[in-house]
Amino acid sequence: MNGVHVRLRVGRERYAVPIENVLEVAERGRLSAVPGAGAAVLGVRNLRGQVLPVFDLARVLAITGDDGSSRVVVAECDGRLAGLAVDEVTDVGALDGVAEETGAEHLSGAVLEDGQLVGIIDVARLFGSLAGVAA
Amino acid sequence: MSVVDTEFLEIFRDEARGRLDRIVDTLLALENGSAAVDAVDSLFRDVHTIKGAAGMVGLDEIGALAHVMEDLLAGARHDGALPGALIDPLLRGSDSLRRHVEGDGEPNDALIAELGAAQVAAADPAVEAHSPAPPAAGQAAPAESRSIRVPAEKIDSLLDLVGETVLHRRRLEHELGAQAGRGGHGPVSDELDFGERLLDELKGAAIGMRTLPLASIVTPLPRVVRDLAAESGREVELVVVGAETELDRAILEGLPDPLIHMIRNAIAHGIETPQERARRGKPARGRVELRAEQRGGMVEITVADDGRGISEETLAEARRTGSLTEVLTQPGFSTAREVTGISGRGVGLDAVKEQVEAFGGSIEVRSEPGSGMDVILRLPLALALIEVLLVERAGNLYGFPLASVEEVLSLGETLSLAGRPSIELRGNSILLADLAALLGESAEAPAHAPVVVLTASGRRVAVTCDGLLGKEEVVVKSLGPLLSSLSIYLGAAILGDGRIALLVDPAVLVRASTERSGAVAAPVVSAAEPSVPRILVVEDSLTIRELQRSILEAAGYRVQTAANGRDALAHIDGDAPFDLVVSDVEMPEMDGIELTRAIRAHATRSALPVVIVTSLGDDEHRQRGIDAGADAYIVKQSFDQHDLLETVERLVGR
Repeated sequence: MNGVHVRLRVGRERYAVPIENVLEVAERGRLSAVPGAGAAVLGVRNLRGQVLPVFDLARVLAITGDDGSSRVVVAECDGRLAGLAVDEVTDVGALDGVAEETGAEHLSGAVLEDGQLVGIIDVARLFGSLAGVAA
Repeated sequence: MSVVDTEFLEIFRDEARGRLDRIVDTLLALENGSAAVDAVDSLFRDVHTIKGAAGMVGLDEIGALAHVMEDLLAGARHDGALPGALIDPLLRGSDSLRRHVEGDGEPNDALIAELGAAQVAAADPAVEAHSPAPPAAGQAAPAESRSIRVPAEKIDSLLDLVGETVLHRRRLEHELGAQAGRGGHGPVSDELDFGERLLDELKGAAIGMRTLPLASIVTPLPRVVRDLAAESGREVELVVVGAETELDRAILEGLPDPLIHMIRNAIAHGIETPQERARRGKPARGRVELRAEQRGGMVEITVADDGRGISEETLAEARRTGSLTEVLTQPGFSTAREVTGISGRGVGLDAVKEQVEAFGGSIEVRSEPGSGMDVILRLPLALALIEVLLVERAGNLYGFPLASVEEVLSLGETLSLAGRPSIELRGNSILLADLAALLGESAEAPAHAPVVVLTASGRRVAVTCDGLLGKEEVVVKSLGPLLSSLSIYLGAAILGDGRIALLVDPAVLVRASTERSGAVAAPVVSAAEPSVPRILVVEDSLTIRELQRSILEAAGYRVQTAANGRDALAHIDGDAPFDLVVSDVEMPEMDGIELTRAIRAHATRSALPVVIVTSLGDDEHRQRGIDAGADAYIVKQSFDQHDLLETVERLVGR
């Protein structure tokens, strides 16, 4: 029911992104700063000839991440692309358990796995607010 | 027929073919009962558009036939249904149109007569439509070069590939250069040179498929100008500059309407009658100039006239809102006092703005009372391949479109202009700003900084950075929809070594340099928060002066005072810029009226808002104050906090 997701970690929290919204997982790579773009934008990077904006997922979700996230989840939705910098990509697989509603802005729900809550990121809603924070 | 005429005809043919296809499909659908609800509307629009476009390219046969078909459809649209008996004549009309579009049409007088009769017959079933006379023998079709239709997306993907190939080429050069050192000889270098030439040709050919010169649509304009001038009793000359400038085909097809609208505005609202021009000491014959120029990744198209310009009221409104363009492109704004026959029934520039923005472009209007108006359209280029000057600042790479780079200097003596650093270049003062600060970043000021002088929209700014990396041809890549709100960047470019340079839009940068006083590189700008507006209170009475000061300071403004006009001018000439002056009229040495005049005539602060404080009922002072250029007046006896603060707030835009 929950489909295949990419599980990831930001600071001490765990999240999952639906596999349909993930193009690939990349190294953080060399980022070029984009002055004026707001603190949530870490910069842009060259992803095989494409210019990819990379967002600090911890900052977007208003949580505390590790110092210097190491991986970038390349997310896609309605033709829009964004790199989401995360601390760790743990694995890919179907989520166990039943997704519960949460009030959180960027989540479509959450599941309880091994006693820990995993937030399921709603990429469309996330992108909606990313376009706002870049202004 | 000239080459450009032929090219424009090709555009017309493409469009007409598409519309005729749809007309026939719709007619057939009406016949078999499967038509959409808006079928008649759609037919009407298609025929109407063909008629208009045919007129523009001088295909009168097509225009005449489309006209009578349009009449038929207008009747049907009015009645809410198309009589079945009209479908066949309309189909034959469409066939005839198609033959004309393809260049082998026969005279269609008979068909026109038949369609006219069909309309009468449809209106009154008692009247029989008479049968058509046999068509006369077809005229020889004009010789035509063979052409094929290709979907625009296919050409776009070709252009993308060319762009990628250019990038690949830069990477290859970079790698080879790193291996063997630059400037090698021998077969590899020969092949590289050959490849460069091939790539240039490929690029030219690919761009040529997507673009056409502006000249391809200006042919009908002299006629349009002549007719409009005659209609309105003006004498007008049209001058076209830069007709060879290449534009995207898709944009070019949509450009005639906005252009004609702008020219119509210039003639109807701008150019004065010959008598009025004589009175103003202008030549009797007005001048409308259509100018096209490639600037950076955009093409600028300007329609400039030497007419009466905007009214004082419009100017005052523009000062209040801060943007003339915004005022003039509000829906329903018309520069004509009354609606004239040719002014488009009060339709303002909002329609033009809408169209231009639909192309991904922008509009700007510049005008002064009495001295004409420039309406500038900035339109994107087809292929985003531009030459840039690469610079480095605070560890980031930036590119300026070479077309906007006027000069590169090394920083010498800096001066102060309006309290802000500037440099002197051949007798002109240019504001000097740190690139990092303009982009909203804080970084240590560069030492021995190179200075790049940029021009955009007729304004200049000198920008300091850490170093120059030279010029390079780059492919403009979008920053993507999530960063599209950052208007300061045209996009980004990936360089040969894989690094990314942000491409700065010079127009936005120049605007930022004049608007954001706080964002300017700072040898000397004072440390106080730049966001608090500074007000100069000019008043000889100590009591009133201190009263005004306390009111304004309590409302959060920073206030300085002066006891008379001369004292005030000395303050205004000083380092820190003011945002507003509040002045009494009667003062020793220099009164408020003279002060207002002096400010309006000031080299750099002529736009400084002035509020005149007058006594109750002193209409003469009030009038003189307004004549001198004051923005507002306050009556002293009704002088209360509310009145003063509201006026000040309005003028400083808080």
